[in-house]
Amino acid sequence: MTAPRAVALALAISILGSLALVAIYVFGGSIQLQGIGLALALGGLGTAIVIWAVGLIEAPIEVEERHSFAAQEREASIAEGAADGEQISRRRFLSRLLAGAGAILTAALVLPAFSLGPQPGTDLFRTAWRRGMRLVDAGNQPLRPDDIVLDSVTTVFPEGFVGRPDTQTLLIKVRPSDLALPSGRDAWAPEGCIAYSKVCTHAGCPVGLYRAREHLLLCPCHQSTFDVLRGATPIFGPAARPLPQLPMEVDPEGYLVALGDFPEPIGPGFWDMTHPGGRRMR
Amino acid sequence: MLTWIDERLGLADWARAGLRKVFPDHWSFLLGEVALFCLVVLVLTGVFLTLFYVPDATTVTYSGPWLPLRGQTVSAAYDSVMRLSFEVRAGLVMRQIHHWAALVFVAAIVVHLLRIFFTGAFRRPREINWLIGIGLLLLALAMGITGYSLPDDLLSGTGLRVIYSVVIAIPFIGPYLAFLVFGGEFPTSEIISRLFVFHVMLLPALLIGGVLVHLAILVRQKHSQYAEPRATEHNVVGRAFWPSQAFKSTGLAILTAAVLALMGGLVQINPIWSYGPFDATTVSSPAQPDWYVGWLDGALRLFPPIEITALGVTIPSPFIPGVLLPGIAFGIMTLWPFLEAWVTGEHAEHQILDGPRQRPLRTAFGVAGLLVFVILTLAGGNDVVALIFGVPVEAMTNILRVAIVVVPLLGFGLTYRVCTEMRDARAGIGHPRMVRLRRTSAGGFEEDDPD
Amino acid sequence: MEGDAAAGQAVFLARCASCHGEVGQGTALGPSLIGVGAAGADFELRTGRMPFGGAPGAQAVRKPPAFDDPTIRHLVAYVASLGEGPSIPEPRVETASVPSGQRLFIANCAPCHGATAHGGAVGGGALAPALDVATPVQVAEAMLIGPGEMPVFSGLPQGQRDAVVSYVAFLQAQPNPGGVSIGAIGPVPEGFAAWVLGLGLILIVVLVVGHDWRRGR
Repeated sequence: MTAPRAVALALAISILGSLALVAIYVFGGSIQLQGIGLALALGGLGTAIVIWAVGLIEAPIEVEERHSFAAQEREASIAEGAADGEQISRRRFLSRLLAGAGAILTAALVLPAFSLGPQPGTDLFRTAWRRGMRLVDAGNQPLRPDDIVLDSVTTVFPEGFVGRPDTQTLLIKVRPSDLALPSGRDAWAPEGCIAYSKVCTHAGCPVGLYRAREHLLLCPCHQSTFDVLRGATPIFGPAARPLPQLPMEVDPEGYLVALGDFPEPIGPGFWDMTHPGGRRMR
Repeated sequence: MLTWIDERLGLADWARAGLRKVFPDHWSFLLGEVALFCLVVLVLTGVFLTLFYVPDATTVTYSGPWLPLRGQTVSAAYDSVMRLSFEVRAGLVMRQIHHWAALVFVAAIVVHLLRIFFTGAFRRPREINWLIGIGLLLLALAMGITGYSLPDDLLSGTGLRVIYSVVIAIPFIGPYLAFLVFGGEFPTSEIISRLFVFHVMLLPALLIGGVLVHLAILVRQKHSQYAEPRATEHNVVGRAFWPSQAFKSTGLAILTAAVLALMGGLVQINPIWSYGPFDATTVSSPAQPDWYVGWLDGALRLFPPIEITALGVTIPSPFIPGVLLPGIAFGIMTLWPFLEAWVTGEHAEHQILDGPRQRPLRTAFGVAGLLVFVILTLAGGNDVVALIFGVPVEAMTNILRVAIVVVPLLGFGLTYRVCTEMRDARAGIGHPRMVRLRRTSAGGFEEDDPD
Repeated sequence: MEGDAAAGQAVFLARCASCHGEVGQGTALGPSLIGVGAAGADFELRTGRMPFGGAPGAQAVRKPPAFDDPTIRHLVAYVASLGEGPSIPEPRVETASVPSGQRLFIANCAPCHGATAHGGAVGGGALAPALDVATPVQVAEAMLIGPGEMPVFSGLPQGQRDAVVSYVAFLQAQPNPGGVSIGAIGPVPEGFAAWVLGLGLILIVVLVVGHDWRRGR
């Protein structure tokens, strides 16, 4: 096939593709047809142009001279041009004051950017969990330890705060005899029910995976793995701190309630997280 | 008609000079153009998407044809992308072309960057364009991240959570900066509309402006060229822009669009209807960002659980892999032309490009850097790789932790060795050359030249 | 058709007791079957996970069932007789439950099985399998018994479990609206396709366009 014939054929395909596109749009067609129609229309046109370019256009090699912009080769330079402003440079004190005023004004003009967001304050240190708040599931139903099935995992919230992201908590039931929590924490896990913050202490993703047989929580983002039986201590992955444990007890009606907020800030670390003042308002 | 314009703007001489400009003819010089044409496709499809997208986190009830989400509470942003995908004719194909074009755009930039690096095209006088180029790469990454976060789906929202956490981890200013950018503690209702402003207004302005300056400098300085008999440091050997190069570039542009159109129609990408709307209390797996951010996710996955607290200041574990190391890497990349000039003492202009083997040290560093990038990108998908190959995730992670140190070092050494061998073989240095001898009729020996 | 527990016991002693014990009490090689109920036995046998064919400590995976339907019924009847356990569920698959099923699936199942139910590696060598061939009964059974590393979801009300089953059935029947799904596990295969298919095709064009077809003079 000669080049002109190939160009004509490619253009013909392109025209057919474009007409097909019109038909597909007007009469409705699947996304696959849309894509193929567009690909034919564009592909035919592009192929025609390329064949034209490489097959039909005479393009001899040419040589063009370069000109360097290096200072010694050019007739005028920027330095010489700036030197014409000699009068300005004699007023050195005023020039410096001008530059300083400009800099300070520029800095001041950045100030509205600080309206973009509030001060963090104590937000990163606390969640909405408070003493006496019942644990509820996604349907706002309070929970009794007996209702929780062994080897199950449920996402729970404080009553009235369903869906509130910083309060998201995992409630897991294990055999009490399997627990090996840090000292004093057994009191926070009545009847084998144990609750941890669901926010990963590495980069904040919800720790959604639970390997029930091994009692390991896994975060899908960077594979931090937490040992449920040992206070959600990280045993693999980049997380350096355990998931904070929610202190719980059973209230007189038999429902699980929180004893207070998490004992340390939930989620990813920040520079002053060990600062005692941050926990001022519990 | 051209005469009509010329009579009013006097462009004839300028146009004639421009059309006659000589550009060297090599396929590796077309890579930057591929990126440019992907950008054109992105802008054209992007404008269409912008006309349908609603940058609002206010919740609405989904009532469209996708059954699993009917009656559910979703953000207006997510709802608008669902409507675009299922209720707007040609909406889904435009969305998919746009997203494929974004992935290929950054890939083309990377390949273009590699060509520039390995041929030494960043040397004087092209340092400015190198700096602009790195800036364009960063802008492209920012465009991608802001763009795929706009649908407010479960996957991209999880990515925003990670970005927020990495910013929080910056010492002293982290929490303030994160609260400024997001408008408060994650998740906020402001972030979607802010990302929209960046994605359709601020970043495109910088990106397109940067591209125009990048091209203008290229035209002003003329393109560099490979060594060949006619090429010198004071000329450019190639073909005139019009008609040959113009036709080739136009054809390449249209064919690039054709490939992206084919992918947009045939291959599904980012099925937000499967992920569902963003919910900060749940997550799906696997969880990855788009490929060009995979290296950052991989760095976060591979870095050991080191968190240092001293004098009341904590350096959280995401800081080093998420901020410090990328900062250093990009810093080295940005300053490379000046670093290399300082180390080699070469401050002269270079219009003729190197072959990679002519610069063993530079090439070795480049290969090592590329290997770091590739391994980190692979690490970003370590759970998917583990799934495909049936290897435990932990084993995959540990293998990559070793590989990230060992493989680039090996690559450096191997590349250096290969380059020096190839370079020396060309020059005939240091290797005993095999010579064929022939006995002459007089009894002596002479070289039997096979030529 | 109820199975015959006596017939099941005969098969059990021949094929199962070596790991699970003479009366299903468990040994070092296999867990106790007392209390797994008809649902547990039916799930493991019909998905072919049991008899276990893998290395010790490896995960039991789906394979063709080793027994025919009558034999499975007999074994199920026998195992169910060993102790009180969940009976075989009869999930109601309804279109109307698909939306609530989607929400429950994303909240409870997607973290391991993936939003598209294509499965995932969950660490420790364990895999949450893809759900493309699981029957409604098998999905319901798995939620009841929590096989392997899977948590137990019997705490969810019946209606919610049925909704999840309905959603899984929807996913199995639903074609991909956007085209070929290349694995449907997110940006990793998408990035791969962008490089290999997208940039690959474009690079071919680049090489053709950039080639010196006329051997320049």
